[in-house]
Amino acid sequence: MKIPVTEKTEILVIGGGAAGMAAALAACRNGKQVLLVEHDGELGGILRQCVHRGFGLAAFREDLTGREYAARFVSAVRGSDITVRTGTTVLSLEEEGSGDEDAFPCAEGSGDEDAFPCAEGSGDGCISRFTERSALLSGPEGLYRVSFDQCVLATGCRERNLGSLGLAGTRPAGIFTAGTAQQLMGRGGLCIGRRIVILGCGDFGMIMARQFTLAGLEVVAMIEKMDHPGGLARNRKECLEAFRIPVILRTVVDGILGEGRITGVMARDLQTGRRYEIACDTLVTAVGLIPDRTLCRGLERADGVLPSWLHLCGNCESVHDLVDSVSREAEALGRRL
Amino acid sequence: MSGSFSVQYTDAAVVGAGVLGCFAARALAALDIRVTVLEQREDVCTGITRANTGIIYTGCDNRPGSLKARMCVEASRSFDGLCRDLGVRFDRCGSLMLAFGPRAENVLRKKMGFGRANGVEGLRILGRDEVLAMEPRISSEVTAALYAPGTGTIDPWELGIAAYENAKANGVDFRFGQRLVRMEREAGGFLLETDEERIHARTVINCAGLSSDAVREMLEIPAVRIFPTAADYIVLDDTLRGFVKHVIFHEPEEKGKGLTLVPTVDGTLLVGATEREVPAGSRGGTDREGLQALSGLCAKVVPGLPLSEQIRNFSALRPNPYHVVEKGGVWVPADRSVNDFTILSEEGLISLIGIKTPGLGCAEQLGRHCAALAAGFLGNPGPNPRFDPMRRAPVRLHGMPEDARAGVISRDPDYGRIVCLCGDVSLGEIKDAVRRGAVTLDGVKRRTGAGMGRCQSARCMKAVMETLAEGQRIPVEDVMKDGAGSYVLEK
Repeated sequence: MKIPVTEKTEILVIGGGAAGMAAALAACRNGKQVLLVEHDGELGGILRQCVHRGFGLAAFREDLTGREYAARFVSAVRGSDITVRTGTTVLSLEEEGSGDEDAFPCAEGSGDEDAFPCAEGSGDGCISRFTERSALLSGPEGLYRVSFDQCVLATGCRERNLGSLGLAGTRPAGIFTAGTAQQLMGRGGLCIGRRIVILGCGDFGMIMARQFTLAGLEVVAMIEKMDHPGGLARNRKECLEAFRIPVILRTVVDGILGEGRITGVMARDLQTGRRYEIACDTLVTAVGLIPDRTLCRGLERADGVLPSWLHLCGNCESVHDLVDSVSREAEALGRRL
Repeated sequence: MSGSFSVQYTDAAVVGAGVLGCFAARALAALDIRVTVLEQREDVCTGITRANTGIIYTGCDNRPGSLKARMCVEASRSFDGLCRDLGVRFDRCGSLMLAFGPRAENVLRKKMGFGRANGVEGLRILGRDEVLAMEPRISSEVTAALYAPGTGTIDPWELGIAAYENAKANGVDFRFGQRLVRMEREAGGFLLETDEERIHARTVINCAGLSSDAVREMLEIPAVRIFPTAADYIVLDDTLRGFVKHVIFHEPEEKGKGLTLVPTVDGTLLVGATEREVPAGSRGGTDREGLQALSGLCAKVVPGLPLSEQIRNFSALRPNPYHVVEKGGVWVPADRSVNDFTILSEEGLISLIGIKTPGLGCAEQLGRHCAALAAGFLGNPGPNPRFDPMRRAPVRLHGMPEDARAGVISRDPDYGRIVCLCGDVSLGEIKDAVRRGAVTLDGVKRRTGAGMGRCQSARCMKAVMETLAEGQRIPVEDVMKDGAGSYVLEK
């Protein structure tokens, strides 16, 4: 049985990272009632594990670490009227009556406003009866349903991982995505290995190569399928060149070696077809980010368009190079709500 | 060797805690005897059981009169009740075996005949249009299909772990990390030695999977040996839930393995299976050519299947049993692989050797069969008066009605804290899995589904490791992924 709505808010912001915090702050300043929900135990999102600098050059004209950048927004959120729920996950979003436009002819766009004077804007009672939007939340307070007018989805992105690449071989321990490696090291102070191969030479891979090197770990090689490293020129200079990270271009990993813990990868040169082993005790994958829009499933209209009350922002809208632009765009969105 | 250890006494010793060992132990627990299980690994279901399609067959693949046919039909009929007792999810979704030409159509007719002779109900041969109406995503080149409404799917670990928990609750003593190194006959039974223990057992049930031939040969001369082959599988994301509604078997027109599609109880779609030789002693690992072969088969059978939705691949080992003869000091296969279940009963040593399809579904029948043989050696002991076949299943939040879920969280807020976003798995479920015996990341994954989804543990690994460390009171650096040597972190 479904549980009833027990709470109402004007704006529901899902995700307490850079995008969610900026959108929530702007909406709150605009006089809206805002509920900000964060899955993790603390606000900050992916920024919490970014111990490197390069954040805030545009937003604050300062060179901050990710944590410092996040801290500025966290303290602003904490000083505002935004209701914050951490350790809380939105399980689903729904719109009552959304699939029943024939049964409820007063739904948006039906064109029958005269016959059914309850179309949007004409009165609260009817709208909330027929097109109530709600979210199911799970957190320390329990399982509960919150209704809202507008929802900002700021759930960031997830990492492509080895599983999606279809690599052959065993599945030993010692394989991490760059984000997991960063989380374990940056937030947990844990050591993931000694001799590391990084698959993918984009920004994330390069930043992690630098972080591993600074932590005293050996980056055996970065493996990149293109004929040049990807990412920002800044990172190529400050990570690859400054730390002399060996990069193997036009090459892919097409096999995993080792039982128990990984002992190496099978590399394949795309030009010559030559396959050879590279010994390592850790493989870190930095092979792309995928906007996480799991909560949108089932909400798309027939033409694939999302409902007008659902707003994507930050990396779940599109993957951004710089957090400063995430904050700027999210703030603009928050003001419009 | 280990002469300094005092000998412990038990009535029945089970060697190996895969799904077969766990069900043998459960069946033995129904008798009024002492039962001890020796498992070399740290947890149950880490061998052949861990890589399995989870299909519960009806019995139309097996030659009438065979043990396989009898057990498979019986298992299929009683499977709903077994899953109710053990609290295991079972989806009797039915299966379609597809033909794309006359050779395969003959196979369908043969299996239909087997099925009828075995007493399998509801079998029908469908024409092309009927197949396409039931499964519109199948290639329109299909010519016919054998429909078996009784086929179902389970999660293989869930079944094995449930049998383990129920056996344990009924008094079975499970000893993990106990690799059998020596076994000999002695007065009144057997002496079994592991690296740490010496156990006297009156009867031994050998369920050692890929090592079951070697365990038997500690006492007997070779008769049946296992020559494993490997099969590759691809797992597709649960975004494809409903892509096909039935288990799909494809009987190819040409020689070789056809395609198998399994809509799992978790909502993912399993794509299999190849068959290839494996080097001796291999623990597995997928094969590049094998995976390519699968995508070729998909293009033919389900052309619209988006393989881009893959989240993992894995390989399964098939423990093919062969009668062997000695030739020049080496034991070589005497004939084709043994087609039936091989159960050898030799003066108190009962060996299940090379149990493969439909072994998972028949695990309860095989376990009871072993227990009946063992009871004979033990002088037909009476029933265990305290035996309870029902397992208290763990809470699984995903898919639970909202009000029930709210109730669970109100009793323990840890169930409100979602750790695995892909699988909707809470901290409460992970803590419970650790209490129930999970000691590795994969042990938690097999019990809860945490880490099994599209992000493949990228987001929950740290939290699961911390929960494992806390639950076992060990440093987080000591947490293993899956067995000895699979340490996740460096100290």
